[in-house]
Amino acid sequence: MADGSKWAPYIDKMQEQLSRLAPVEILQNLTAGKTLKAYAADKLAKIAIGDCTTGDGRHIGMCTIVPLEQYWLPLFFSFWEEREKEITFLVDIIPTVDSLVDEPYRIRYFDSIQPMWVKFASLPGITPFEDDAVRALCSIVYTAAVVPVDREGMRLAALAPHTEYLKSYIDFVKDAPLADGEAKLKEIKRKIEALKTALRSYVQRQYAGAIHEDMIKVFF
Amino acid sequence: MARVDYKDMINYADDLLNKYKIFEGLDLVPLETYEGMDTRSAWDFKTPMATGYYKPYLIKGSTAIEKITIGELHYMRRAKYCALNMTASDDYDLPIYACEFDESAPRLGITIDLMPIADIAVHPEYREKYLDPLAADWRKYRTIPGFTEEGRCLLQRRYAPWNWARESLSPYSLDGRVVEPEDRYKVMDAIAAYARIWFDLLKKAEPMKDPQYKQEVLTRKKFLQKIYRDRDPGGEVIKKIFGDDKHHLFVSLIF
Repeated sequence: MADGSKWAPYIDKMQEQLSRLAPVEILQNLTAGKTLKAYAADKLAKIAIGDCTTGDGRHIGMCTIVPLEQYWLPLFFSFWEEREKEITFLVDIIPTVDSLVDEPYRIRYFDSIQPMWVKFASLPGITPFEDDAVRALCSIVYTAAVVPVDREGMRLAALAPHTEYLKSYIDFVKDAPLADGEAKLKEIKRKIEALKTALRSYVQRQYAGAIHEDMIKVFF
Repeated sequence: MARVDYKDMINYADDLLNKYKIFEGLDLVPLETYEGMDTRSAWDFKTPMATGYYKPYLIKGSTAIEKITIGELHYMRRAKYCALNMTASDDYDLPIYACEFDESAPRLGITIDLMPIADIAVHPEYREKYLDPLAADWRKYRTIPGFTEEGRCLLQRRYAPWNWARESLSPYSLDGRVVEPEDRYKVMDAIAAYARIWFDLLKKAEPMKDPQYKQEVLTRKKFLQKIYRDRDPGGEVIKKIFGDDKHHLFVSLIF
């Protein structure tokens, strides 16, 4: 960055948490200014994490955890776009069922995150996520913001929701039950596919040219 | 912080009908029976604690409407609990227009939304057709002080203690607590703008054809209605005023 400050340690902080899942690496691609890793783990279809810097002065980070569809478990999504003076982010555990109707799902996963959601509301720049299609996928406890970086501590403050949500998600993975019955399995399968399609489409729309298509495929 | 006397509070229904003319051009006919209940006792009520009305309508000749309810409850000349609800009939998948407007001296508590009755993550075409038309107005009105404060936009947090209610909201809900009198009037603009969009959608609406999709939609719709009628904290006030017997009628008209 022009003023000599450093990008937030997105990958390092997230990987510290991910290591609790005992992940098995299935892909690693490290090149100058780019990290991309994918893992397998119990109950999960895939964990993907990566970051890159772009020519126009952005540091983009992303982490997705897609559950195996036979589990009654949300999908983890963390999105990070850092500039010298501003960080735009979204972090969520996205429902893989209709969580209005499936109240036990809401109670188990979102009611328990609620205190964190309330706590992070005090973060400067907190705001609904700007992309309408992505906002439509989000849970009732997602946290998004456009944080002004007016002092260096703000980078770590903006990173805190990501590591905190991830920590909770990892606890959820450990206790995740199997989907109850054929209808629920079908619902989850359909919804996970819809979520992956919508998130992939968002990243393609937002970063056409900046992020290679092969990298996007790893996440979704 | 401004306080607003009862006499200076917004004339919610009167303004929507006569200033904003949201029903202009519609041939509304009173709905006398709703879900087997005689609605007429809600059309004009006066008790020691409350006065007001909740009046449901249909549109003459239209099969697309389940109810259009507008009303106000004035509580001890201290607060107004106002509502506008527009729900399509079971053959249509239109979102539910819901507006809850609770004005008291220190603040206006407001929620305005077109609540989806399909899972919009699974049915993105539903969002595109019925909800994305709200995008421009949502971006315009979310800047009203109270929705946005000191650079933080806190929409979708008014129902913070009631997660079941937050689950019902669309990505374009406008909700929060608005304090200043001039800002309370800006909220009225938003209520009317969202209502006009709902009526535009109604014009283009067609009955659902796919039986499986219809089943999904009706399951969600009925669930949504049930949880609001059973759990909405406003329902407790109504129960206190009118007793258990009338409670179900009133909450069913409001939601």
